Amino acid sequence: MPSQIVSLVVNGERREFIAVPGATLLASLRESLGLTAAKRGCAQGACGTCTVLVDGRPEVACLVAVETVAGREVRTLEGVAAGGELDEVQSAFVDCFATQCGFCTAGMIMVAEALLERDPDPSEEDVVEAISGNVCRCTGYRPIVIAILEAARRRRAKSPQEEAVAR
Amino acid sequence: MVIQAVHVPESAEAVVTCSARGGWIMGGGTVVMPLVNSGAASVTELISLRRAGLDGVEARDGVARIGAAATLAAVGEHPGLAFLRPALRTIGSPTIRNQATVGGNLFVAQPYGDLAVCLLALDATCEIAGPDGRRDAPVADVLGSGVGSGEVVVAVRATLPEPGTWYYHKAMRRRLNSAAIVTVASVTRTSDGGVTSDGVVASAAIALGGVAPRPVRAVSAERLLRGRPLTPEVLTEAGEAAARGDIDPFDDAYASAWYRRRVLPVHLRRAFIPPVVR
Repeated sequence: MPSQIVSLVVNGERREFIAVPGATLLASLRESLGLTAAKRGCAQGACGTCTVLVDGRPEVACLVAVETVAGREVRTLEGVAAGGELDEVQSAFVDCFATQCGFCTAGMIMVAEALLERDPDPSEEDVVEAISGNVCRCTGYRPIVIAILEAARRRRAKSPQEEAVAR
Repeated sequence: MVIQAVHVPESAEAVVTCSARGGWIMGGGTVVMPLVNSGAASVTELISLRRAGLDGVEARDGVARIGAAATLAAVGEHPGLAFLRPALRTIGSPTIRNQATVGGNLFVAQPYGDLAVCLLALDATCEIAGPDGRRDAPVADVLGSGVGSGEVVVAVRATLPEPGTWYYHKAMRRRLNSAAIVTVASVTRTSDGGVTSDGVVASAAIALGGVAPRPVRAVSAERLLRGRPLTPEVLTEAGEAAARGDIDPFDDAYASAWYRRRVLPVHLRRAFIPPVVR
C-alpha cells in the first residue's frame, strides 16, 4: 500500500499530510507538521512524554498508527497557550519549578489539561493517578503534582461562576 | 519488518476479509506498536479495529457484552460494570487505558492481561468471527489456544456477578501502573451472600494472573473452599493448594518464580479479606 494523505484536526485546524504506512501519530506531528512539543522517549508507550489528546483524551502518540485516527481531533502542547500566553497549567509549572530538564513536561501538561477538563477540583491522589503513565527522570514528581493542584486552583479562581454551577 | 500497510476496516466482516490476507489484528496498539517501533514485528501489515464498530459496551439483564475494540477506559466508565473498576485501575495508566482494548487484553503475554484474568473468573464467552462465520468459545479456550487462522474475537460476553460475590486483588511493585506479581479474581458465592464470615462457600471460580504463562483457574483452591467458610486459615490452605497444584510461575523483572509461588497464598487470602489500610 503506498503512502496516503491523512487529514487530522490539529489544535483546531484541519491539517493534511502524507503518511508512510505505519507512521505513528507522533512521527506525523513532529516530522510532517513540525509540532515538536511531544517528544519521542521510549517509543514503547512506557514513558508518556509523547502524550497528546485525541478527541480530548490523553493517548501516547508513539503507539497510534496515524491512519487509525484519520479525521479525529488532536491537541498538542502547541495548542495550549492561547494567543501565545501561557495557560494556568503552564504558568503553574513555571511558578512551582515543575520542570527540570523539560523532557517530560509536554506529556505531563497534556495529561493535566485532560484531568482538569474532566475534574476541575482533583485530589492529590487523582493527580498522582493521572500522571502515573508519565515518567520524570529528574525525580521531579512532587513539584509536578503541586503545580497541577495549583493550576486547578488558579483555574477555579478564574471562573468562580462556573465552579458554583458545577457544585 | 517494515510495515507496508495499515488497514482500518469499517466492519467485523471487513476485518475478517482483510485478515484472511495475513497481518496482525491490532486493537489499541499498546502491544503491537511497541514491536513495530522497535522493528520486531514479524508482519508487514496491520489491521486496526479502531473503526470496525466493535467498541460497544452494554450491561443489561444481568449480562455484559463488550466489543473487542472497547477501551479499558470505556469499560471502567460504564455504570453497569462498576464492579470491574478497581481491577481496571490496576492496569497500565489512565492514558494507556484510553488506548488498550478488551480484545487485546486477551492476547497479551503474562504478567499483563489482568482483565483477561477477570474474564476467566467470570467464565466469559468470546464471540469470534471468521471465514466460516460466527462462533462462540469459552474465554478459557481462547486464552489457552488462541483463535483459528483468520479468526478474530469481536466481543466478550459475561454474566454479571451477583452483589457481594466479586473479589479482586493484584499484587504489584508499585501502587499504580505496574505488571502483576500475583493477580487474583474470583466469583465466589457463600451461603449467606458474603455478609458475614460464617457463611460457607457454595461455589467458587478463582482465576490467577502472574503465576503462569497464561491466566489459569485455581481449581485446587476452588475445590478446597467449597462448603467451608472464608476464614484466613481456610483461605491460606486454599492458596497453598493452588501454589502446589495450579500454577507454573516464571522469573521476570518484577519477581522470581519462587517469590510468586511463595506469596500466592497471602494474596489469595487478601483478595477475600483485604488488609486494613490505615
